[in-house]
Amino acid sequence: MEEQGCPRCKTTKYRNPSLKLMVNICGHSLCESCVDLMFIKGSGTCPECGTALRRSHFRLQLFEDPYIEKEVDIRKMILKDFNKKEEDFTNLNDYNDYLEMIESIIYNLTNNIDVETTKRQIESYKKDNKDLIKKNKSKLSKDEEYLEMLIQQEKHESEVQRQLLQEDEARQKNIKLKNKEALIDELMFSEMAAADIMASHRELTKVTDTSSTLPKKAATEFSTGIKLGAQDTFIPLSKMDAGELYRYEPTQVFMCGPKCLSEEELVFQGYLNHVRRASDIDLGGGYKSVMACQRALQDSFCGLYYFPNTAS
Amino acid sequence: MDDKTKRYEKIEFLGEGQFATVYKARDTLNGNIYAVKKIKLGTRQEAADGINRTALREIKLLQELHHPNIIGLVDVFGQRSNVSLVFDFMETDLEIVIKDTSIVLTPPHIKSYIIQTLKGLEYLHTHWILHRDMKPNNLLINHEGVLKVGDFGLAKFFGSPNRIYTHQVVTRWYRCPELLFGARNYGTGVDIWAVGCILAELLLRVPFLPGDTDLDQLSRIFQVLGTPSDVDWPNMKYLPDFVQFKSFPGTPLKEIFIAAPDDLLEVLKRMLAMDPQKRCTSTEALKMQYFSNKPAPTPGPQLPMPGSNKIVDKEKPSLKRKLQSETVGLAKRLIF
Repeated sequence: MEEQGCPRCKTTKYRNPSLKLMVNICGHSLCESCVDLMFIKGSGTCPECGTALRRSHFRLQLFEDPYIEKEVDIRKMILKDFNKKEEDFTNLNDYNDYLEMIESIIYNLTNNIDVETTKRQIESYKKDNKDLIKKNKSKLSKDEEYLEMLIQQEKHESEVQRQLLQEDEARQKNIKLKNKEALIDELMFSEMAAADIMASHRELTKVTDTSSTLPKKAATEFSTGIKLGAQDTFIPLSKMDAGELYRYEPTQVFMCGPKCLSEEELVFQGYLNHVRRASDIDLGGGYKSVMACQRALQDSFCGLYYFPNTAS
Repeated sequence: MDDKTKRYEKIEFLGEGQFATVYKARDTLNGNIYAVKKIKLGTRQEAADGINRTALREIKLLQELHHPNIIGLVDVFGQRSNVSLVFDFMETDLEIVIKDTSIVLTPPHIKSYIIQTLKGLEYLHTHWILHRDMKPNNLLINHEGVLKVGDFGLAKFFGSPNRIYTHQVVTRWYRCPELLFGARNYGTGVDIWAVGCILAELLLRVPFLPGDTDLDQLSRIFQVLGTPSDVDWPNMKYLPDFVQFKSFPGTPLKEIFIAAPDDLLEVLKRMLAMDPQKRCTSTEALKMQYFSNKPAPTPGPQLPMPGSNKIVDKEKPSLKRKLQSETVGLAKRLIF
């Protein structure tokens, strides 16, 4: 993979991890500081292709390949106007032809083929289909509708769930209240001994407590729903045959390259003189410069012996 | 593409987290049982942004990781804006085992769990990946008693000299002192500290250091293990969020874990060393006497499994707690 970098100042992502690449409509990237430097006045030309650019049109490059960025930009712009849907065509063939036309327009624009003619083609299309474009702009596409529906569904489900829980809680509260009242009434008017009433009552509440009306959902098997000390069933310890004693075996790293030096070797052979020294803060946090050194070496060694199998 | 949504047949609902819903599913091709994690779309705004970041992280890392003690990502499929990840199906997790009081955890059991955890972790660390969310809940166990490290939503490469890392990782109870002091460049110590806490939890059967706030967490750590001096942890004072704590003498581990043998206490001491530079690595830990000493670790199939789920079903979690965790729930996270 080619190292990502700014074509103007040649800074690479490796040397400056905080490097931010920006792209404009022409699809050539520049790093943030170069943009700052060259577009002080707000506009200027692209150092690669000479296209006039505005600073405000620069945005963060998301994909490693700026060509893709350019294509995405153009596609977005084109699809704004070319917004016919399948329903607008009488048959599938027409629709497919239409899609093909869009793709070839986009391809032409991104690869600078017949730009003038293509642009003219777009203009004429816009003129011919003015009304339809306007109409379709206000409509959601099928995909968006589907997405909307999914989101609504998710929302609705969680709403229902919450409501059920709330209702259930209210009901339980009600029952508890009623039970309490009944108990007090009974204590006031009944002839039985108070202790007996209490006992029978306790029995009663136990029954009602467990009979929740909530539809029994599969209990979340994965943790956090379980009470401490909830179970009183006791599984007696079965006698086990002792397994084998553990012996450490080092993990094998699949390198497909030269062997890496161990941490001690890196320290004693002076490798660390070429790596940024760990600062006091780094050391306090558990970072060691030998980590960076070892990882960089491993990264560069890994796969060096790889031979692509051309036969298959 | 579309075939895959039909390929995995939903069996039952397993659980729900902030970012995803998890189902048990059967692969119609070969009859295997998997856990399918369907990423939620979330709000409209989030949906427009594309695939969820944690899911992307998980896919990116797990695709290349293959180890018996790391959760296996079997498949990924999508349908329009919906993405689902297919994982090995895991019966339970270590949190459930710890909280199931009908299970007696013997020293060989504990040794077996910790060895498996450390093996998984060693594999991750040798490949320069930090898990950053080690906790019993994320250590999944299958019906054969194989423990696998799961949930890579916070995992990240480490060992880059200039990159700045966030310190807001790891569930608080398992968070190490350097993260609590705001360290921005750290190493394998963050995962090892968490394993130390998990080992302590296996012995105690309750969370070892359940802090309520970040500050409370630190003071609990120091109360139990003693406030570190300048000699114990020379570079502590340079950390961004460092605050001087009252000097606590700490309690000897022997008095907290009265039944633990000396070789185990030595492991705990090395894993819970205050200075991350002095904390052991997973390799160093695995080489320690405790693991090769008697008693031998329990072979996987003999490890205890939580009582049948029917018992669990009966104990309905309190509604209040359920509601709270749904609405207030900190940005915290998945089941898996």
